[in-house]
Order: sequence, then C-alpha cells, then structure tokens
Amino acid sequence: MSAHAASPAADRALLAEETRRYHHFITLALWLAVITGVEIVAIFLPLAPWVLLLGLGVLSVVKFFAVVLWFMHLIYDARLLLWLFVAGLALACATFTALVALFSFDRVDTLWFG
Amino acid sequence: MSDHAAAAPTSTGIDHKKLIMWLFLASDCMFFGTLISTHLLYRKLYPTGFTDAEGHERFIQNLFDIELTSFSTFILLMSSFLMALAVSAMHKGQVASFRRNVLGVIAFGLVFLGCQVYEFTHFWQKGLTIQNSVFGSTFYVLTGTHGTHVAIGVLWLILLYFYSFTGRLRGHGGALDVEVAGLYWHFVDIVWIIIFTVVYLVEYLGPNGIWGAGLPLS
Repeated sequence: MSAHAASPAADRALLAEETRRYHHFITLALWLAVITGVEIVAIFLPLAPWVLLLGLGVLSVVKFFAVVLWFMHLIYDARLLLWLFVAGLALACATFTALVALFSFDRVDTLWFG
Repeated sequence: MSDHAAAAPTSTGIDHKKLIMWLFLASDCMFFGTLISTHLLYRKLYPTGFTDAEGHERFIQNLFDIELTSFSTFILLMSSFLMALAVSAMHKGQVASFRRNVLGVIAFGLVFLGCQVYEFTHFWQKGLTIQNSVFGSTFYVLTGTHGTHVAIGVLWLILLYFYSFTGRLRGHGGALDVEVAGLYWHFVDIVWIIIFTVVYLVEYLGPNGIWGAGLPLS
C-alpha cells in the first residue's frame, strides 16, 4: 500500500497524513483561484495606483508563500530546506534593492535623449 | 510523519536529491530575481514605447491582453495543484492516480506554453521584437526564460510518466523522484505568480500605468 512505510501502523499514519494534506491542497487551490480573480478585478477598480500596487504586492506574496509552504511541503519538511530557500530569496531581494538604489533616477530617455 | 523521517541515512537527515533540488531552486531564485529586477528597472528608466516595422510609434500599455495572461496564470496555478496531488499519490503508492494527475499537469503545461507562443506571435506581429526596444529585450528574455523552464518541466514529467510504466518508479526512491520533479514544477509556478503581478498587472494601474504614458521614440 504505502510506498515506503515500515509497518502497518506506520502505513496507516502515512495514509492519514496524506489524506489530511489532500484536503489542504484542495482548499489552497480554491483560495489561489479566488485571489487571482480578486487581482484581476482589482486592477479595474478606480483606486489610487499606490493602493492597488500595495494590494497586488501583498496578494502575490500570499500566493507565493502559500505554494512554497504547502504545495512544496516546506511547512511539513526539515527547517534546513526552508532556510536554504529563504537564503536564495533574501539574496534575490537584496540584489533588487541594490539595483533600485543604484538606478534611483528616472527616465534615461528624457534625461539623455529628450 | 515528516517527509524525511523515512529517508535513507544522510549526514543531514534529508535526502540528497531533495537537498540538491532545494539548493538549485535557491540559486534559480537569484537568477529570476536579477531578470525581474532588470526588467522593472529598465521599464522605469525607459518608459517609451517602440517603433514597429511600418514606422508607427506604439505604446506598451496597449500591448497586453489581460484575459489571455489571466487564463494562463490560472492554468499554471491549477497545474501546481494537480502536481501536489500527483506527489501525494506517489507517497501513497497509488501509481494509477499519479499517472492521471501528472497527465493533467503535462496538459496544463502545454496549454500554458501554447498561450505564451500565441502571445509572443501577437507581440511580434505588432512589431515588438527583442531588438527594437529595451522593453522588448527584457520582456522576451524574462518570459522566455520562464517559458523554457516550463518546457523543461513538461519534458521531465513526460519522461516520469513513461518511466512509471517500466515498474521502476516505485517505493521510496520513486516517490522521491516525483517529489523532486514536483518541487521544480511548483517553483516555475511561484516565479510566474511574481511575473504576472510585476510585469503584467502593474501595466493596468492608473490611466497610464505606473510607468507613465511613455513618450514617442522620435
């Protein structure tokens, strides 16, 4: 029955755990669909761009971490894997921040060619 | 029961294949981080449009088709869901269920790639090439790199699907192989979640997008 359980008791525990995760996956998939729908509707609402930008940013971060934690099993897995991934993510964010700081001026085209 | 409790003994207690995949994903995070940063910075620095083959000046804000991109985003999210079910099925030793779910993932992946080919063709016909504007260069490189990742993922899953018929994709090793492929697929999905927001959706904020109306090139 189980792919790699050692005993019938462990088999049953594994099956119960996988069944619990199965329900989590379905709930999460529904939430992801709803959030994507909200994002698409939100861009057509007459709100200030900065409000929408903030909202879209938060929603995409929620989707991002929902997939990472549940679909990629990081919430169930060893903490070392979480820290490995967070290290990569932190370096990517640091690169972005450094580039934004380096190129903090606007519109090269109008500055130099306008 | 944690995923790594039944793993073969390793110095970290984590399967080597899984550890290597997570290291790869962390490095790929940095790779996509630089591509996305480059696109956003150049989008800010060069908000102008591009000149098509007929010499008409075009604005980037009018280029995107939000319905198509939303559809492909939804498809990719649902493929991630099916992938999670496929991994779960393999952990339970249900190979038939794994095959059904992985076929769904492959189909959704192919639909996503079809949407991307259609979008690229559409942009190409409107005159946006990789050479004629800064936006074209960063956009095609970013989304093209992501599309290549999706194509590699589809190929990997097709191989796993056929491999499952040989009888060698079973036990802990088989479940681990599927889980590692699943990690890669989910990563492709989370990268798209970010691209969808920062490349596509932000173009619709305000009457002229957050980058301004843009200026004619000449």
